[in-house]
Amino acid sequence: MTRARTPSDDPDAFAVRLHKVDFSYCASRTNGPLYDGFELSIEHGSVLALMGPSGSGKSTLGKMMALIIGPTAGRVEWSPRFRNRSDVVYMDQHPMNSVFPWQTVRRNLEYPLEKLNWGEQESRARVDYLTSLFRLEPLLDALPAKISGGELQRVALARCLSWRPELVILDEPFAALDRELKSDISLALGQLAAKDGMTIVLITHSISDALAIGTRFVVVGDRPVRIISDLRFDHPAHAGQLDRDNMEDTLIACIRDGLV
Amino acid sequence: MPAGSSPPRRHIRVLSPLVVLLLAWSAISGLRLIDPVVLPTPWSVARAFVTMGRERVLIDVALTLARVLAAVGIAACIGIPAGLLLGYRRRWYAMVEGPLHGLRSIPASALFPLFLITIGVGESSIVALAAYPSLLVILVNTVSGAALANKRRLYQAKLFGLSGFDTITEILFYEALPNIFDGLRTAASYSMVLVIAVEMFIGLDDRGLGRAIYAYQATYRIPETYAAVMIAGTIGILLNLLVSALQDRMLRWLPDAYES
Repeated sequence: MTRARTPSDDPDAFAVRLHKVDFSYCASRTNGPLYDGFELSIEHGSVLALMGPSGSGKSTLGKMMALIIGPTAGRVEWSPRFRNRSDVVYMDQHPMNSVFPWQTVRRNLEYPLEKLNWGEQESRARVDYLTSLFRLEPLLDALPAKISGGELQRVALARCLSWRPELVILDEPFAALDRELKSDISLALGQLAAKDGMTIVLITHSISDALAIGTRFVVVGDRPVRIISDLRFDHPAHAGQLDRDNMEDTLIACIRDGLV
Repeated sequence: MPAGSSPPRRHIRVLSPLVVLLLAWSAISGLRLIDPVVLPTPWSVARAFVTMGRERVLIDVALTLARVLAAVGIAACIGIPAGLLLGYRRRWYAMVEGPLHGLRSIPASALFPLFLITIGVGESSIVALAAYPSLLVILVNTVSGAALANKRRLYQAKLFGLSGFDTITEILFYEALPNIFDGLRTAASYSMVLVIAVEMFIGLDDRGLGRAIYAYQATYRIPETYAAVMIAGTIGILLNLLVSALQDRMLRWLPDAYES
């Protein structure tokens, strides 16, 4: 069996593993399959930035990881540690799809916890924590349709992370955020991931977003999709500016190569 | 602000056609271009309102309105839950879809005699006859609303392990609500038409607006006939406004553009 090429990889350490995955959309048959024998294994606790040009099948890959769509052939395996469906969540590119527009922001945060049988006190503490982490205080009583795109994106993010899922697949979660807020929110996301021991897959085409919290960078491209590069950055917090610059240059080069 | 949209101008725009119509009516009837038995003068119709007020036309109005509201209410109480259930269990809907469309293509008025035989002549048969097509239209609209529900949000039902009942009442209902209101609006006008028509056939205590129109016409009280028809029209408009007001209240949360 083919496995990810890391020496320290023990079989139970993966959060999600794709093995010999094939996939094609009906309409795209003429161009050949989107995925053909694709392999990827993602370790627990990593923050994997999945990058590649638009239309390269990143969202499809994310949806397959979340078992929203099934591969035509091959296997998508979740860690045996995941016992509930809610342990893996995929957050859509459109934040309105990840919230219930008929609920206020506060209710949107409470609802998943209520449905997953959290205790009242525990739930309130969690909502308070997320509210301050994502700066949602002034929005709590507003309806999702009445707030800005950036605000909505924060609400959607907070909601997806509220119940401490084990694996979170975020599809362009920073798209509607301005630069300043983006760095704040990605910092908060990184903090939360570390605190809750979450595994994050960050689908993005922004290198700076990826570098802000990523511990592993996978660049995909081509058709059928293949991994163009798979780089690790194990301790982003301890990495110096030089390391970052190097990584950035490498990623830029990889993405450029992927486009050719 | 564009010149045409200030409130006084809007009022002028709405009211001026009515004034023109009234003037034309006065001119035609005043010049006796049309036999007053066919077209009475506006003045005589205005006087008719007063006589009708003395003859307690308000009881007729109230009775007709109550029948319409009862019909729509019954139709909604059955049609919305049934439509949501069929929208949730699409296979069940596939089974009943054929007969349902068959039933919908029968003009409700063709069923008068059958309803009278099965239910008998009484209040219940008037309401049932009006409720029947309303039920079908609400049902079909609810099903299509549920079918249009945002798949990405329904994914959350699976994520949280929601029961079928919770999925229907906490997600599907809201997703279908815009279409449910379309159904209610159509049902209200259907019910109005049918209640008036059935009242002409079944003169329970000789009351109800339909009965009044019929009776005035039968006794050649033409101005009163016109006045009663106008009242019926006004009730129709008010019913529509009622549904709109309810819709504005209950769909305040609706995002401008629905993403899917």
